[in-house]
Amino acid sequence: MRRSKAISAMAVTAVSALVLTACGGGEENSGGGSTGDVSGMAEGKAQEGDVFTLADVPEMDPVTVAIDDQFTAYNNDTADANSSYNNYVLTSVLAAPTLLDGNNKVLTNGDVMESIEVTSEDPFTVEWKIKDGAKWSDGEAWDCSDFYLAWLAHSGKADGFNVASSTGYELIDQPECQDAQTFTAEFSQPYIDYKGLFSSGAILPAHILEQETGIDDITSITPDSSNVSDVAEFWAGGWKGFDAELMPGSGPYKIKSFNRNSGRVVLDKNPEWVGAKGGPTEVTVRTIPNTQAMATALENGEINVAASTQPDSTAATTMQNLESQGVTYGSAPQLTYEHLDLNFDRLFADEAARKAFFAVVPRQEIVDKLLKGVQPDAEVLQSIVFFQGEDGYEDRYSDKAGQGAEQAEQILQDGGWEKGDDGIYAKNGERFSIEISHNENDRRKQTVEIIQSAASKAGIEVVDDQDANFLAGRVDKGDYDVALFGWSSEPFKTTQKGLYSSDGGQNWQGLESDEVDKAYDAAVDSTTEDEAREHYVEADEALANEHATLPLFATPSMWGFRGIDRVYMQSYNGALWNVGEWEAAE
Amino acid sequence: MADLNSIEAGSESGRDKNPDGSGAEALPEARSQGTMVLRKFLRHKLAMGSVVVLALIILASIIVPLFYPHSFADASFSSYVDPSGEHPLGTTQVGKDMMAQVLRGTQFSLLIAITVAFLTTVIGVVLGALAGYLGGFTDSAISRLTDLFLIVPSIAAAAIMVRVFDGSWYVVALVLAMFAWMPIARITRAEAMSLSQREFIEAARASGAGTGRVVFKHLVPNMVGTITVNATLAVAQAVLAEAALSFIGLGVQIPDTSLGLVISENYEQMQGRPWLFFGAFTVLVLISLTINFIGDGLRDAFDPRQRKVKA
Amino acid sequence: MNLVVYILRRLAISIPILFIGSFLVFCMVAAAGDPLGELRTQPGVSQEAIDQLSRQLGLDQGIVPRYFDWLGGFLTGDWGISIAQGSNMQPVFPKVMSAFEVTIQLILAAEIIAVLLGVAVGVLAAVKQYSPIDYIATTMAFIFFSMPIFCVAIVLKMYGIDLNVMITDMGWDSWLGNPFLKTTSPESLSGDGFFDSIINYIGGLLLPTLSIMFISFAAYSRFQRSSMLETMSMDYVRTAQAKGISQGRVIMRHAFRNALIPVTTLFSVNFVTVVTGAIITERVFAWNGMGSVLVEAVNKNDPNTLMGWIVVIAISVVIANLIADLVYGILDPRIRVG
Repeated sequence: MRRSKAISAMAVTAVSALVLTACGGGEENSGGGSTGDVSGMAEGKAQEGDVFTLADVPEMDPVTVAIDDQFTAYNNDTADANSSYNNYVLTSVLAAPTLLDGNNKVLTNGDVMESIEVTSEDPFTVEWKIKDGAKWSDGEAWDCSDFYLAWLAHSGKADGFNVASSTGYELIDQPECQDAQTFTAEFSQPYIDYKGLFSSGAILPAHILEQETGIDDITSITPDSSNVSDVAEFWAGGWKGFDAELMPGSGPYKIKSFNRNSGRVVLDKNPEWVGAKGGPTEVTVRTIPNTQAMATALENGEINVAASTQPDSTAATTMQNLESQGVTYGSAPQLTYEHLDLNFDRLFADEAARKAFFAVVPRQEIVDKLLKGVQPDAEVLQSIVFFQGEDGYEDRYSDKAGQGAEQAEQILQDGGWEKGDDGIYAKNGERFSIEISHNENDRRKQTVEIIQSAASKAGIEVVDDQDANFLAGRVDKGDYDVALFGWSSEPFKTTQKGLYSSDGGQNWQGLESDEVDKAYDAAVDSTTEDEAREHYVEADEALANEHATLPLFATPSMWGFRGIDRVYMQSYNGALWNVGEWEAAE
Repeated sequence: MADLNSIEAGSESGRDKNPDGSGAEALPEARSQGTMVLRKFLRHKLAMGSVVVLALIILASIIVPLFYPHSFADASFSSYVDPSGEHPLGTTQVGKDMMAQVLRGTQFSLLIAITVAFLTTVIGVVLGALAGYLGGFTDSAISRLTDLFLIVPSIAAAAIMVRVFDGSWYVVALVLAMFAWMPIARITRAEAMSLSQREFIEAARASGAGTGRVVFKHLVPNMVGTITVNATLAVAQAVLAEAALSFIGLGVQIPDTSLGLVISENYEQMQGRPWLFFGAFTVLVLISLTINFIGDGLRDAFDPRQRKVKA
Repeated sequence: MNLVVYILRRLAISIPILFIGSFLVFCMVAAAGDPLGELRTQPGVSQEAIDQLSRQLGLDQGIVPRYFDWLGGFLTGDWGISIAQGSNMQPVFPKVMSAFEVTIQLILAAEIIAVLLGVAVGVLAAVKQYSPIDYIATTMAFIFFSMPIFCVAIVLKMYGIDLNVMITDMGWDSWLGNPFLKTTSPESLSGDGFFDSIINYIGGLLLPTLSIMFISFAAYSRFQRSSMLETMSMDYVRTAQAKGISQGRVIMRHAFRNALIPVTTLFSVNFVTVVTGAIITERVFAWNGMGSVLVEAVNKNDPNTLMGWIVVIAISVVIANLIADLVYGILDPRIRVG
C-alpha cells in the first residue's frame, strides 16, 4: 500500500483549472423577458364567441412534449389516480362538453356539442345536446349513456366508485337521457358552475363498461340498483394500467401506447374524430421532472415542447436564450394562487398581530425576485376569490399588506405589544415568533427567506418550517401558525365555500366570520353568474377585512417550443388542449 | 467510491500478508514511534500543504463571519447582483449575499463531517475491536450487524429518516454516521484479530486485565495508525455524502445549511452566473481534496515499510 | 459441489439479515408519513373514499400484521401496489424491476469500462512509478473522488450538447442522428439495422455512463496502483525478476494476478456507492431508474414501493458480494471457498 509521497502540485491545478473552465464556459445571460409574443396564441385558431372548434390544418410530423410528472391513468377521477398530469394528456383524448382556452375562458366544445343550456331556473335544470356523429375511436357513438355513466360515478350516491370529487354532481337529482343525443339534469339547488361538469376526462366509454360488466343499458342503473356495485367495481378498477381495447379516445387523439415504467405515452389520431383531422400525426408525452433538464433537452432537440408547471428562472433563462435557435418561450399565470393562511387558533387570534404580519410581508419584492425571471409581467395577486383578468377582480389587499416595518411596529404598539430585550415584540408574555410552514419546494423556501428578512426589521421573528409532510397530514389538522401553499382550481368558484366558511371542510385555519359565511351562502344559491359574482365580491371583501389569508401571486407556468407554429399552456389542462391544430413552423 | 480509502488503508492489515507490518508495535515503543510518525508526516509536503489550506478554510469559516458586514439571513439586497467589492460572490435569487452563505455552509459542512467522522470511528472501532478480540458469538453477532447495515443503501435510509425526523444538521450527521461505520469496523476487527495473537496482549490478559481494559488500554492504542487514517478519510467522505443527499433534495434543510445545499441550490447557475456555483464548489472540493491528501500523508507516515522505499 | 454448498450457505446467512433489515425499514417507512395524507386535503374527496382506500391498503391495521401481510405477499411475488397519490395503484414489482433494469444497464456498462480502464491505468502507474503518467493518473484520481458526482455529470452534459452542435455543423448528423448524444433517457436504444442500433445505443448511454465511470475509475486505478506496487515488492516477484524473466512477463504472470484481488474486494464494497452514484446521475439525465423511483416514493410516502426498492437493492448487494467472493477464490488459489 505504498503511495508516492509527493504529487506535483502543478498537475493538480492544471487539471482542476480545466474542469473549472469547463464549468464556467457558458455564455452570459441576456436577462429576463419573454421571447416572442405568446399572448396571441391563447385562443384557438377557429374559436368563435363561446364556441371552440378545432381548426382545419395540414398534418405535421410526430412531436414530443415533456411535462413534469407522470401520466398514470385513463380514468383520472378515482381518488387514487387523480393528478393534473393525467389531465394534461386526457384533454386531447377524452372529449368534454366544454373546454378552457389559454385565457381560461369557458368554451363549448363545438365539435361534439350542439348546446348546453339552462332550461329552467326552478327547479334548476340543464340540458346538454350532443352533436350527431360524435364517436369513440372504436366506432361507437359518444352519447347520452356516457354522460349518464359519468353522473352515476361522480354523484357520490353509490358506494365503491372511489371518486376523487363529487362537487356539483351530488346536486343532480334527476338525470335523464331524453334521447341518445340529449342529457338533462335537474338540480336540487341552483348550480351556476354547471359548465364545469363532465369536463376534464370525466366522460368515459359507457359501452366498454356495459360490455365488460354484462349490463345491457347503463341508463337503467340507478344508485339503488342491485348491480350498481358491478358498475362501481369496473369504473374504479377496470381502467387501470393500459389496454388499448378498453381505452378508446373520443377526442381528436387516442392513446396508442403507454409505457408506465419509462413514463411515456404515445397518442395517435382518432380515426373516428368528427372534427378537423390535421395536426401532428403522433404525440409522445414524456416525463422530465427537473425543469432545467427539460430546458436542456429542448436545447438539444430531444423534445419539441417543454411544458412545466414549476416556474424556475434558470430554466426560463435557458429557454429564453434559445430564441436564436428558433425556440419560442412563453409564460402565463396559472389558476393556482399562492397564499399565506394565518391560524386563528394561535397567536394570530390577535387582530393587531395579523395586521402587523400583513404589513411586513413584502409581496412586491417576492414577486420581483422569484417570478419576474419566469414571467416578466408577473404581478402581486390582490384578491383571494378572483384571479387577475376575471370579472370581479379588484385590488383588495395593497392597502392592508406590505406597508413596511415602521407601520407594522406602530400597529403592534397600538395593539398592546411591547418590544422585548431581544428586539422581538411580545404581549402577555407571548413572543411574536411564528413559524411559516410549507412543503418541500424551493420557491416556497425562498419566499420564507424574504419574509424572514423583512419581518426581523419589525421585531417579528419568523421561523422557516419546511416539512415534506406538511401538505400530507399537517395542514388539514391546522397544525401551523402560518401556512404557505397554493390552491389550484378550474375557473369555477363553488368549491371555495369549503375553504373559508366557518364549517367548511378545508377551513383549517379556524376562520369564523358571519359576513364571509353569508356572502358564500348567497353566492352558491345564486341562479345567474352576475348575481353570484356580486356575492363573491362581498366574500372577497369580507375576507380581506378579516386579515385572514394573504394572496401572494398566481403561480406562472412556463413553456418553450420549437418547430410548431403555436403552443399555449392552458393553466388547467396543459399544452395539449389544442394539439389538433398545431402546424409545423415555417 | 466513498469507501475506497478506508479499505485501502485497511487492506494491508486486514489480510495477514505482512504479519510484522501494519504499524502495530508494542506499547512501550509507542512514544518513539509517535515522534517518528510526526517527523515523517511533517516531511510530506503535499500533506503539510493540505493541512495549511484546510486550517485556513476552517479559520476563515469561523473568523470571517465575525467581521463580515452581511448576515447570512439578510435577504434585502436585489437578486442576482454581480460580484463586487460589496458582494464578493454576488447575491442569490432572493437577494442574500453569497459569500455569507458559503461561509455558513462551510461551518455546517465541517460540523457535519467531523461529527460523522467521530461517530463512525467510535462505533466502528469499539465494535470492530470487540469482535476481533472476543471472537466467537460476539464476533458473529457483530459481523451480522455489519452485514445488515451494509446491505441497506445509506441514501435510502437517510432519505426516510430525514423525513421521519427533520433535516437539521445533527439528524443528517447521525444518519450518515449510522451507515458509514461498517468499513472501519471490518478493518479494526481484522487488525484486532491479528493483534490478539501477539504476546503483549496475551500477557495483559494473563495478568488479569478485563476485556474493557485490554481493548482500550492495549488494543486500541496499537491501532492508532489505522484509526487516525480512517477517521481522517471519513471526514472527506462525509462531506461528499452530505452533498449527494442535498442534491437529491433529501439532505440538510433550512434553517440549517451546508455546502452541499448551497451547491445544489445554485448548480444550475454554473453557466449563467458561475460565481454563485464556484464559491461553494471550490471550498467543498478543497476540503475533500485536502483531507484526502492529509489521509494519504498520514498513511505513509504510519507505514513502517515506507522506510524501504525511496521518497 | 463444495462451491454450491458454499453459495447456499452464504445465502442462508443472508436471509435472517434481510428479514430483520426489512422489518426495521418497514417500521421506518411507516413512521415517515401518511400515504393518504395528500388525499385528505383535497376538497370533494369523501371520507368514504378515503376509508375504502385505507382498508384496501391495510393501513387500518397495526404495524406487525401489516409487515407480515407485506412479507407474505412479497414472498409469493405480489409486492403490493403503489399507493402514492396519482399513481393509480400501479403494481410495485414491474415498476421497481424495470427501474432496476435501467440502473443496472447504466452501472454495468460504466463498471466494466471503469474496471478495465482503472486496472490498466493503475498497473501502468505502478510500473512507471513517479513518472509523469503516474502523477497525472494519481492527480486525476484524487480530483475525481474529491468532487461531487453531480458536478461531473452536469459538466459532461454541457459538453455533450456542444458536441452535438459540432456534429450537426460538420454535417455528420445524417448518419449519427440528431441529436447524437441524448441528455435525457432516449425513447429506445434500438434502431433500424445493426449500425443504427449501435449509434443509438452509444448516443443514449454515453453521457450518463461516463459520469458514473469517472468516479469509479478513480477508485479502481488508485487501488490497483497501490496493490500492484505492493505485489511487485513481494519476494516471489523479486525472485522471478532475479531469474531473468522479462519485465512484461513478470508483471502479467505474477504480479498482476495477485494485484487484482483487492480490486475485487473493492468491487463488492463499492457496489452500494456505485448505485448511489447512478441514482444521482439518473437524476441529472432524467432516466427513469432506481433514483427517480426512490425520490418519488420518499416524497409521496409510498411504503410498498420503498420496500420493494430497498429489498431489490439489498438482494443485489448480497449477490454482488457473493460474486466478489467467488472471483476472489479464483484469483487467489490460497483462499478456498467453502
